[in-house]
Amino acid sequence: MILIIGGAYQGKLDFAKAAFSLAPEDIFTCTGTEIDFSKRCINALEEFCYACVQQDMDPAAFFQEHKDAWQDSILICNDLSSGVVPMDPVQRQWRHTTGQLCQYLAGQARQVSRIFCGLEQRLK
Amino acid sequence: MIVFVSGGAKNGKSGFAQNLAVQLADGGKRYYVATMIPVDEEDYARIRRHVADREGLGFTTIECGGDILSCLNYDTHGSYLLDSVTALLQNVMFPPEKNYEMDLQAAEKCADDVVTFAKSVANAVIVSDYIYSDAQRYEESTECYRRCLARIDRLLAQVSDTVIEVSAGQLIFHKGGLPG
Repeated sequence: MILIIGGAYQGKLDFAKAAFSLAPEDIFTCTGTEIDFSKRCINALEEFCYACVQQDMDPAAFFQEHKDAWQDSILICNDLSSGVVPMDPVQRQWRHTTGQLCQYLAGQARQVSRIFCGLEQRLK
Repeated sequence: MIVFVSGGAKNGKSGFAQNLAVQLADGGKRYYVATMIPVDEEDYARIRRHVADREGLGFTTIECGGDILSCLNYDTHGSYLLDSVTALLQNVMFPPEKNYEMDLQAAEKCADDVVTFAKSVANAVIVSDYIYSDAQRYEESTECYRRCLARIDRLLAQVSDTVIEVSAGQLIFHKGGLPG
């Protein structure tokens, strides 16, 4: 598994498309708690986390339970870690669980790339 | 050369960029593009602080709240410090003279103009702000602003010889290097 992280609008998906020759049909973009692991690339994991928080699910636990599904995936997640603690409890929990998921996935990944202004910084 | 400098707030970007612009000018003309349109005493105090910081560095200050290409009328052989893209975009995207109403076309033009400007001068050191890693659901105009600024950042990073992230005054090189 390859994990790509970085701030919003930094070009994470563009990087993944170029680096791994992804076609549009290879990409699944999260909008809820369902993930189609048959796609090579799972984008916007932070949206998966947001939906999980609203439905009282634990994103990291979900990935641990479905470990076989994503061993060869390219996973993309926004880094939400560097702002003020959100006042809103949902956003606070969102930040917390997204951070936990990224830590877990980074530990499992064979490559971790951070994208900064469209440029790759290899973290692992 | 073009150097793009970004990073979180209060990490030493401006101070570093100033010294770098002086170094790149190598005794030649150097211009500081002042982008802030002051509206209150806090802004004026900040400007006074920045002016004091630049004292003795030999910068000619150009006031430019909007049209960055107007700087090219001064001197294309000089070295320029543009600090910051963040303020410049804010001025053109939410123009005070139009009651701060969002102007997306102006934002698009600003992106193209900043790139043209950077390519047209002898040296350009351009400072932006990394505002992309927080956990907030912003309202649409703020989200638009972040998207537009990120687009400018990425375009600049692409054409820059060197891209540096400043963290606690330390430099993380994402592209290229520095002379000497």
